[in-house]
Amino acid sequence: MSAVLQLKNVHKAFAGVPALAGVDAALMDNSYVSLLGPSGSGKTTLLRVIAGFEQPDGGEILFAGRRIDGVPPHERGIGFVFQNFALFPHLSVAQNIAFGLENRAVAPVTDAKAVTARVRDMIGLVGLTGLEDRAVTQISGGQKQRVALARTLVTEPSMVLLDEPLGALDANLRTRMRGELRTIRERCGVTFLHVTGSETEALAMGDTVLVLDRGRIAQATDAGTLYSRPASADVARFLNCYNIFSGAVSGNVFESPVGRLALGGVRQASGRPAYAIRYDRVAIRPRDAAAAGDEVRIEASFVASEYSGAAINSFFTLDDGRVFEVETHLSHAAPEAFEEKARYALVWKREDALVFV
Amino acid sequence: MTMAATSHDTPVETAAPSTRRQPDRTYWLLAPGVLWMLLFLVAPILMMVYVSFWTQTTFKIEPTLTLKSWITFFSSDTYLGALWTTVRIWLIVLVSTLLVGYPAALFVGLFVKNKTLSTALLVLCVIPFWTSFLIRVLAWRPMLGKEGAINMILMKLGIVTQPIEVLLFSELSVIIGMTQIYCVFMVGPIAFMLGRIDPSVIEAAQDLGASFWRIFRTIILPLSMPGVVVGAIFVSVMVLGEFATSAALSGRKVNLLGNIIVTQVGSLKWAFAAVAGVVLTILMGAVVAALLRVVDLRKEL
Ligand SMILES: Nc1ncnc2c1ncn2[C@@H]1O[C@H](COP(=O)(O)OP(=O)(O)OP(=O)(O)O)[C@@H](O)[C@H]1O
Ligand SMILES: [Mg+2]
Repeated sequence: MSAVLQLKNVHKAFAGVPALAGVDAALMDNSYVSLLGPSGSGKTTLLRVIAGFEQPDGGEILFAGRRIDGVPPHERGIGFVFQNFALFPHLSVAQNIAFGLENRAVAPVTDAKAVTARVRDMIGLVGLTGLEDRAVTQISGGQKQRVALARTLVTEPSMVLLDEPLGALDANLRTRMRGELRTIRERCGVTFLHVTGSETEALAMGDTVLVLDRGRIAQATDAGTLYSRPASADVARFLNCYNIFSGAVSGNVFESPVGRLALGGVRQASGRPAYAIRYDRVAIRPRDAAAAGDEVRIEASFVASEYSGAAINSFFTLDDGRVFEVETHLSHAAPEAFEEKARYALVWKREDALVFV
Repeated sequence: MTMAATSHDTPVETAAPSTRRQPDRTYWLLAPGVLWMLLFLVAPILMMVYVSFWTQTTFKIEPTLTLKSWITFFSSDTYLGALWTTVRIWLIVLVSTLLVGYPAALFVGLFVKNKTLSTALLVLCVIPFWTSFLIRVLAWRPMLGKEGAINMILMKLGIVTQPIEVLLFSELSVIIGMTQIYCVFMVGPIAFMLGRIDPSVIEAAQDLGASFWRIFRTIILPLSMPGVVVGAIFVSVMVLGEFATSAALSGRKVNLLGNIIVTQVGSLKWAFAAVAGVVLTILMGAVVAALLRVVDLRKEL
């Protein structure tokens, strides 16, 4: 596999405020890449720069080995699926999908039969058969999503950029479309760059996950590595599954606001010292239970718990007032009933914690 | 469309009297408007149609029904000429307001990204209305006249040797004047429709590979058509009923149906005036109906 898209030190500022502050990334050919980042981190800006709707202030964009900064959007061969779909409201489903083939400046398809055939194949691929002549104002959100995707895919782009493509859909449909997007991509064999603000979506979909933080790529790796080894406390925070303490390492302990935490596992250099423990690595014990030698123990009072399917998330307040979250998988044990405001011991293995120095 | 369907269905589906009473009562809100329209619009128009069949003598008019006024109207070169002039000038002004107005609307509605600025520009279009009609007409005379500014400049530059006389007191000056006055009624609705186009729709078309002209022809123009139709209706209704501009700028050389009505009323020929009025009303109705056929406004707005 080779890199289809390379970004080298890409910069973009709006009225002096940087939105992209030196993005470096390489996207592999024929892969599903998700781009995760909090709101305002520059995800849309990055996609718009790649598609050519915005000019970067500096840096290089190489697409299939060729520099494309400066090439107008319609000559780049990169498809863009908009967050709000941006369908042509006056055209039918089939006309929307045929638009690119008939109207592109480079090599338009003039043979009506060829257009119809390709549109029909694409409608079959995305599962819209039967809706060809429907107005796009009279179809559901999920169907609009498919039209937007089909309209882009039919032009056979070498890469597709999707800006929060599932953001406008309800939770049920979102899960179903995830699987479909992956299947469709595999059948087309092009690289998808999927922007999302949801960590579960990013982890579930991406062969590679890029994490964007304040205009920079904070980490680029596969989902498994990202989940278990975030590169910094900020990345860990976006993943929404770590309790994070700030503080400082002194010798073999981490000085945190809730006390001294003994260190055991690996330490990662990240610039800002922090201590992170995953929600599902923590055990809840009665207050009088003792901790083993390789364990770390803190105390907290129980607030509430919340079921989420196969797991239950319990919330505690620490002595400094911060919330600490614990995830217990119900396959391991029957849910325990905790007493509100009562104090419990929260215990985890030393080597399970991530330590950033 | 969906809204219309549901409001039709409601009384059928919900037989409960409590839900039915509500819409019945709300109809009363329409009563003053309907009454006003009946009294001061529908009744007078019906009256006009009736009067057009009355018997007209030199000094008085009698309610004896006759076709005489209608026959006189359709066998007179003057009246038929005025009808033809009205249609001709209407068509030319319609085209010229569209040619001048569409690009301006395109700029204001689509290319000015800042909403405040585009509103300010639209207000700018209305500024001519802050001066009175009379003053504008007065100002055109030294501009368009035989010794006016345009002729002087053209002669200085050696483009013409003799002053162009058709600039003032001609059909041309009437067309120039009307285009200037009514252009803003074309710009407004078109700019409104263009402003409603989602910018990402145009970006999507760009991304799919279409050039600017393609996008204009396939996306922008069709989506702005309702604005063009509404603008065309405004301009048509106003131009067809015009009499002041032609009276002031043509030196009585250009007679529109409106001018005929003014003179007939002036000489107390009520029946003739009514015939011209009925013809004009039918013409306007036909024009509006034809324009509405171009676009299904109900669907688009
Ligand atoms: N056209 C613009 N003019 C000025 N500032 C902009 C513009 N577009 C984006 N920005 C700014 O650039 C930064 C990045 O914006 P961007 O839209 O890329 O964020 P995002 O990651 O897509 O966020 P979200 O998840 O909310 O969509 C933000 O601070 C935003 O305010
Ligand atoms: Mg965004």
